[in-house]
Amino acid sequence: MTNTSSPAPATEPSAGLLAPADLSPGRRTWRAFSRNPLGMISAAVIVLMVLVAIFAPLIAEFPAGYGREILAPPSAAHLFGTDDIGRDVFAQVIWGTRISMIIGVASSALAIIIGVALGILAAYARRLDGLLSMLVDVSLALPVLPLMILVAALVGPSVTTLVIVIALFSWPEVTRIVRSQALSVTRLPYVDAARTIGGSHLWIMTRHLLPAVAPIIVVSVVLTASRAVLSEAGLSFLGLGDPESWSWGKILFNAQRSGALTVAWWCTLFPSLAILLLVVSATLVSIAYNDARNPKTREN
Amino acid sequence: MTRRAILMGGVVMAMGVATLASTSAQAQDKTRLVIGTTADVVNFNPLVGNSRSDTWVTNLMYPRLMQMTPAGSKDPYVATKWGYSEDGLTAWLEIRDDVTWNDGTPFTADDIVFTITAVTSEKIGVTAGLIPAFVSAEAASPTRVEFKLSRPDSAFLTNIGFWMPIVPKHAFPAVGSVAAFANDSNWVSVGPFLLKSVEPGQRYVLEAVDNYPLVDGGRAKVDEIEFRVFPDVNAEALALRAGDLDLIANALPAPIAQTLKGQPGITVAQAPSLGWSHVLYNMKRAPLDNVAVRKALAHSVDYEAIRAIAMQGLANTTNSSVISPVLSYWADPSLKEYSYDPELAKSLLTEAGYTDANGDGFFDNLELSLLYEQSAADIANWAQIMKDSSAKSGIKINLVGLERNTYLARGREKDFDIYAGNWAVMEEPAAYLGLAYRTDGFINYASISDPELEKLIDQAQSATTPEAVKVPVQAAAKLIQDQVYDNVLYYQTFQFAYNSDKWDGFVVQPSDLLSLVNPLSLASVKPKD
Amino acid sequence: MHLTGYVLQRLLRGLVTFWFAVTVTFFLVRLLPGDPVLAVASPSMTEEIRLRMLQEFGLDRPLAVQYFSYLRELVQGNLGISFLRSQPVTTVLMERLPWTLLLTGTALVLTVLLGIPLGVLSATRARGWVDQVVQVAGVVGQSLFVPSIGIFLLYTLGLMAGIFPIGGAVKSGLTGINWFLSVAHHLVLPCLTLVMAQLAAYVLTLRSTLIEALGEEYCDLARAKGTPERKVVWKHALRNALLPTTTLIGLQIGFLVGGAVLTETIYAYPGVGRAIFEAVGQLDFPVLQGAFVLLAATVVLANLLTDLVYGLLDPRVRAG
Repeated sequence: MTNTSSPAPATEPSAGLLAPADLSPGRRTWRAFSRNPLGMISAAVIVLMVLVAIFAPLIAEFPAGYGREILAPPSAAHLFGTDDIGRDVFAQVIWGTRISMIIGVASSALAIIIGVALGILAAYARRLDGLLSMLVDVSLALPVLPLMILVAALVGPSVTTLVIVIALFSWPEVTRIVRSQALSVTRLPYVDAARTIGGSHLWIMTRHLLPAVAPIIVVSVVLTASRAVLSEAGLSFLGLGDPESWSWGKILFNAQRSGALTVAWWCTLFPSLAILLLVVSATLVSIAYNDARNPKTREN
Repeated sequence: MTRRAILMGGVVMAMGVATLASTSAQAQDKTRLVIGTTADVVNFNPLVGNSRSDTWVTNLMYPRLMQMTPAGSKDPYVATKWGYSEDGLTAWLEIRDDVTWNDGTPFTADDIVFTITAVTSEKIGVTAGLIPAFVSAEAASPTRVEFKLSRPDSAFLTNIGFWMPIVPKHAFPAVGSVAAFANDSNWVSVGPFLLKSVEPGQRYVLEAVDNYPLVDGGRAKVDEIEFRVFPDVNAEALALRAGDLDLIANALPAPIAQTLKGQPGITVAQAPSLGWSHVLYNMKRAPLDNVAVRKALAHSVDYEAIRAIAMQGLANTTNSSVISPVLSYWADPSLKEYSYDPELAKSLLTEAGYTDANGDGFFDNLELSLLYEQSAADIANWAQIMKDSSAKSGIKINLVGLERNTYLARGREKDFDIYAGNWAVMEEPAAYLGLAYRTDGFINYASISDPELEKLIDQAQSATTPEAVKVPVQAAAKLIQDQVYDNVLYYQTFQFAYNSDKWDGFVVQPSDLLSLVNPLSLASVKPKD
Repeated sequence: MHLTGYVLQRLLRGLVTFWFAVTVTFFLVRLLPGDPVLAVASPSMTEEIRLRMLQEFGLDRPLAVQYFSYLRELVQGNLGISFLRSQPVTTVLMERLPWTLLLTGTALVLTVLLGIPLGVLSATRARGWVDQVVQVAGVVGQSLFVPSIGIFLLYTLGLMAGIFPIGGAVKSGLTGINWFLSVAHHLVLPCLTLVMAQLAAYVLTLRSTLIEALGEEYCDLARAKGTPERKVVWKHALRNALLPTTTLIGLQIGFLVGGAVLTETIYAYPGVGRAIFEAVGQLDFPVLQGAFVLLAATVVLANLLTDLVYGLLDPRVRAG
């Protein structure tokens, strides 16, 4: 997904512009990435959303209580209109950014930690690999949403529950990817060399394997987080979300329950757009990043 | 490898199609009314099933002896006349002689005796709780039943007249196994309709029964009725607009009703609720046992905001009376609603000794939890309003929203400070006052115990004429209001939509149990030419 | 490998997967905070039924005993009694299962049928505008929130355009070919919604593997021999590029089957997903548990049957 632009001639370094062969891999990746308009725009969108999530209290008041204007369409006073008890939908979407992102990031972080640890372990320790691989295959084959629903219903709805539930059902995917990437590294001679000179297992895993899978982790974080946002929206829509906090899924849950879903299009459209925007940006960023770091798909 | 995927898909599809059954063909020239509902029928036994869909379907097969009027009183239907003996210890009831079950068996007093014996000996459902005075029943003739009571009960006959659907003795198992009877096939019906086919999760199809003397012409005007299940009310409304549905049985949320009103060819009819929504204050917990505190709470509710916002204007005040104005005979027009007056509330609390020492805007040692059912959107909304308006009086309320079963369990166990709830039908004061306000009342969750109130209820229940019942009933309502034993917020107006281009002849009855889908209505509706 | 060896290996794998699913469910319900009794007996059940349930599932006994009671009941097809309906869970779910199978099976086939041409298109015109459009469209489709897109399609294509019915699985009272046509007609919108959510993953994976394959030596060799590019793509590169997507398909069926929950609810499609939705609102735990176990069994069975049929057809697969 990079632009077709002619590279600078390799033999004449002009001021400030190093030839591609002279750049470190990280810089090379960044350069390829920065040439990708879709990637850059998506990254900007994500940064914007993170800022909105952090500065939510400054942008809008926490939606609580009730208002007199019920189901009012978007206007100057209420940018995204009002819901079925007169609360401002714009404020709901802004504050929803906070919770949806927290859940997305937290559950993905937890899933990544578990997934990476197990993935590296599986690639490194042959004896555990069989067991772990089977565990991963089996977990991946099963329909997870029903199980997530069961667990969330049993434990009771809250932000913590959702984070843990989503993380618990996202780590197998991470492990699978990390393991296959780590496997390609464990076979390399320098790992054997490290073992020969007496490096402990833990040291090898953290010092050699971990950096090798780092790019994969980056991609994984972004993708897992975006899927987590969709899972959270789904669970909240079913009524399993945290009743005290706002999330995009909860706005849609209210809209469904109160009959506003088709009648007050603003209650449905804006949270759906928010979800769409975040997930699309995250996916595009990870695709752009993947393309940028893979010599075969970038043009340098 | 695509082949594998396609193969897998094909395998899965085949597994599906192989196990599906196709339905029987529909005769082309039959008229059919398609009704939308949001829940499946889960129980076909009319004495046991108590969800809306269950009732709507079984109502069309198992008759209630009396008809509900708009004012909540009972008119003759299958029962023609009824009354009590002088001493009130015997009750009698006479029925029509031309009603039959669809298999030809006549509907007689035996069926009534069978039903009431099963209900009381097996203690089935709410009905059993309504008739504690019942001793025995006897069929004096095929059209006359006589009941023995342990004490006078002025509401006995009207209670069983409406709340006890009659089931066929010859088609149901013997007394002792009635509650467990699933009744999910081979239905026997008085009419106006009989269940023909059931596709779980999809539709319930009923066809008209030939001999139904309770409607003009002796038979329903439409040939078939189909109930279709839509879990999402939004999609259901779209189906009505597209013509896939003719009528929606469930009451519509305000936004949908508003939109449908503007659609050509669709009419929105209204029916008032026969019940009301309220909050109860737990009399066994301090400080709620102090009437001053309860009065302060009563003056801290923005009643008008609740009705205008949470209920979107589709609710009316009952004047803080436990007798709804809909019950025009019983209601006392002299009662007035508690005023929303935070200053008055504050002064009541200050007089009762409460202070705000830490200056946080709330009275100290006055923090109450409000229990409600989370999935009931209306109540969840006004619980929020109640919390906010009480804060203006310095009363701190914490909202506790629970899922239905837990909410019901905690209510029964009386584990709450304030209980937000909704009674669907409270139409017979002499009956429900007993259930809700007697010390051992079945639904007396607030543990209300007042000897004077008890006496009034006794009087109401042992009186033998409506005029004699009215006096203590109204006195009881006034006492309940003065003591703030129960804070009734509103009664609802339900909205129902149907396709008026294609159909007319619906008969509206109150309460969403009946509305447009009551037997008389569905037997009278016909296609417009 | 012999056919019997292959069959046994696959069978064993399926059984282990299923056993795992069942065990996870058991322990989740027993060990999570919350009253495990709620998993089998609802507070509103009559005392009689409640005691019977407790006995059947041995809830008053030690965990190990309970586990074996659970397995024993499972093998007999007893998944408990639904709180909401007072009917056995197995009955309730088996009535719904065929519809879910139909929906997800069709969605799976469509994903592949649409995904391959799109993947090829994207890979052969890599980095061109066609590629970008396909990628963005795919990503957007995958990021849509199912209930939103569902209600949107119902409103536009169902109500406004009047092309498709609003919800339901089939029109009442039809037989024979008319029944099939009606089923297909009702299947379009829900299937479309499910496919949109899955397509991108498939297309993007194929795109990336195909790009790799097209750069390999054997393709260059074919080109040097004068083979037209189209044949290079479809005959040589695609065959290898499709290999990694095989695992993806196996994953997708699990995903689809679970994702049907929201789709079936909005479209009033009478499948297991909808039963789950109805059960969540009422906290009908036996149905929730039973649904997961049943869906897991379905996924395992589907994988198993496919492996067996494929193994019968293609001896190379058995060789491994």
